[in-house]
Amino acid sequence: MKLNLILFSLLIVFALVKINAHHLYRVNHHALEIEKRKTIDLKDEQNQLLIEESSKSGNGRISEYAKSKLKMNPPDKKQKRVIK
Amino acid sequence: MRSKIKKNHEFFELSKFRRRFTLLVLLTLFCILFSRAFFLQGMQRDFLQQEGFERSNRNVELYAYRGKIYDRNNQILAASETVRSITMEPNRVEFKKGDKNKLANLLEVKIKFLNKKLKSKRNHIYLKRKVDPKIASKILALKIPGISTEKDYRRTYPDQEISAHVVGFSGNDGNGLEGVEYKKNNFLSGTHGYKKILIDARRRVVDNLSEVSVPVDGKDVHLTIDKRLQHIAFQALKKTINDSEAISGSAILIDSKTGEILTMVNYPSFNPNERMRMRSPFVKNRVITDAFEPGSTMKPISIAAALEKRVVNINTKIDTGNGYYKVGRTRITDTKPHGIISVKEVLQTSSNIGVAKIAEKMSKKYLWQTYSNFGIGNLTGANFPGESKGVMRDHDTWKKRDHASASYGYSVSTTVAQLARAYTPFANKGEIKNLRLFKNDPIKIGQRVLSIKTSEAVLKMMESVTEEGGTAIQASISGYRVAGKTGTARQFINKEVGYGKRGEMKYNASFVGLAPASNPKFIMAITIEDPSKGSNYGGVVAGPIFSRVVSEALKIYSIPQDEIEIKDEIGNEKKEI
Repeated sequence: MKLNLILFSLLIVFALVKINAHHLYRVNHHALEIEKRKTIDLKDEQNQLLIEESSKSGNGRISEYAKSKLKMNPPDKKQKRVIK
Repeated sequence: MRSKIKKNHEFFELSKFRRRFTLLVLLTLFCILFSRAFFLQGMQRDFLQQEGFERSNRNVELYAYRGKIYDRNNQILAASETVRSITMEPNRVEFKKGDKNKLANLLEVKIKFLNKKLKSKRNHIYLKRKVDPKIASKILALKIPGISTEKDYRRTYPDQEISAHVVGFSGNDGNGLEGVEYKKNNFLSGTHGYKKILIDARRRVVDNLSEVSVPVDGKDVHLTIDKRLQHIAFQALKKTINDSEAISGSAILIDSKTGEILTMVNYPSFNPNERMRMRSPFVKNRVITDAFEPGSTMKPISIAAALEKRVVNINTKIDTGNGYYKVGRTRITDTKPHGIISVKEVLQTSSNIGVAKIAEKMSKKYLWQTYSNFGIGNLTGANFPGESKGVMRDHDTWKKRDHASASYGYSVSTTVAQLARAYTPFANKGEIKNLRLFKNDPIKIGQRVLSIKTSEAVLKMMESVTEEGGTAIQASISGYRVAGKTGTARQFINKEVGYGKRGEMKYNASFVGLAPASNPKFIMAITIEDPSKGSNYGGVVAGPIFSRVVSEALKIYSIPQDEIEIKDEIGNEKKEI
C-alpha cells in the first residue's frame, strides 16, 4: 500500500514535470520563432538598405545634384587641355 | 448529543421516491452525456479531429529570396524588396463614415471596385498586391475591421531605364520575362519551402510539426557591365538622339582584351519599375536583337581580307574615278570624286568605289569566309536571349553586285554587338574574342583570323579616320590615339521601294572605334537610326558619343595616355606623353 502511494506520487510528479517541460518547450519555441522572424525582417531591411544605397549613389542622381546644386558641368572639348 | 445526531440524520434522509427520482435524473444525465460523448468521439471523430487540426495546425510558406543581379563592381542592378499586399475578409468588414473613400484613395481604386469586392463570397481576397509599405501602414492606421496586410516581395531596379534592356524584368509571380532576368531565371529563382506549425489559442507558434521543406534562396548573378559607364553611355546616347531627332540608338562598349561587355544601352528605353508604362517596341535589347546593314563600318574587314590575301598593300593605288562606278546594273557612288588614292586613303575617305574594286580582286567565297571568321552571321557568345545572328547569305547566292556591295556593308546585316566583336581582331593582333556578359561564364581563348602584321596595318589605317582629313574627327579623344570607322548606311525600307527615293531615304549613322590605338583596351560600336536634324553622317552623329564615353572609360580604368606627335611653335615634330 505504501509503495503504491509512493509510486502514485512519483507518477503525479513526473506527469507535472513532463507538462512543465512541454510548456517550457513551447514557450522557448515561440521565442525562437520570434527571433527567426526578426532575422527575416532584418534580412529584408538589409536588402532594402542595399537597394536604397544603390539608388541614392546612382550616377544619375549624383550628376543631377552636381549640376543643379554645385553647378558642376563636364568641360567641353574646347575647355579641355592636355597637360604635357 | 445522540438525539441531536439523530435529528440531523433524519433531516438528510430522503424519501424513497425522492431518492429514486434523483437517481433517475442522474442516470438520464449520464446517459445523455455518454451518448453525446459516443456521438462526438465515435461518430464524428474524423470530422472533429479535422476541425481541430485546422484550428491549431498551419502550413506556412517559407520565402526563398530571388537572387540579386550585380554589375562588375558589385553594385545592385536588380533585387527584391519588401512590400505589402492588402487583403480583405468581406464578412468582417465594417466601414466607419469616410473610411471607404480614404481606403479607395490610398489604394488608388474606385469605390465601385471596393463595393464589388465586398460582395465577394470568398473569405479572403486581395484588394491590391505589392503596395508600398508606407501606404500599407496608412491603410492599417484606418483600423478597418477585416482589412489587413500580408508581407510580399517586389523586384526593383535601382538603375531604372539605364540598364533596363540588359537586366530585363520579371513578372508579378517573380519569374523573369526579359533580359538577364529571363535568361538566368532558373539560377536566380530559389525554391520556396514550407513548414507545418502548431499554434495555441493565442495564435502563437508553439511547435513545428513533422513536415518541413527548407527554402533554397536563388543565386546571385554578376554581370560584366560597369554601372558608371552604363550611365555615361546612356546619357550621351540620349542627348544625341534628342539633338539629332533620331528614332532610336544603340551602343555597346567592350573590353577588347577579354570581350567583356562594359555597357550595352538603347534609347528610347523603359523603366522596369513601372510595368504599366512599358511600350513593347522599346523593351527589346536592340544592341543584340536588331540587325541592320552596317555600311562602311564593314570596310576595315574587307580591306583586312585583301591585305591578308596580299592582293593589295596599304600603298597600292586604286582608281576611284569620278565618283561613279557601275557593277552590273548597280551604280556605286562616293560622296565626292577621290581620283587615284591609296588603300589607306580608301579607308580614310570611306570610298565605296575603292573598297568595291579591292573586293573584286578576291573571290566571293574568300570574302564570305573572312566575314564569317569575323563573326558576321554568327552569335557573339554573349549568351543573351533573343540574340540575332544577322543575315549573311551564302556566297553561292551572291551576284556580282552583292560581291561589291558586301564589301562596303550592304547585302549583309549585323547587330551592333556583332560589329563590336568583329573589331576585336584589330585590337588583339588578329585574334577574335567572344563577347561575355556573365562574370561566371568561362573565358574562351580567342581565335586567330588575321596575321599580326595585317591587324596592325588596318589598325594604323583606322587611326587616320579620326585624324585631320578623316571622316570621324569628332571621335578623337584628347591625349589618346583613336582608331575607328564610320558608317552612314541607307535603310532598306521594303522590296517594292528598296532604299527609297533620293530625298526620302533614311539612314543609320554608325561608328565603331578602338582606344587607345597604341594598345586598344576599349571597342565601342554605336548606331543611330535615322537622325533627321543636322548631319546624318556616322562620324558627326555617333563619333561624339564614342569620344564622350570612351574618354571617361579611359579615365576610370586609368589607361595611360598615348605618345602623341605634337608640333612645337617652330614646326618641329616631337613625341610627348
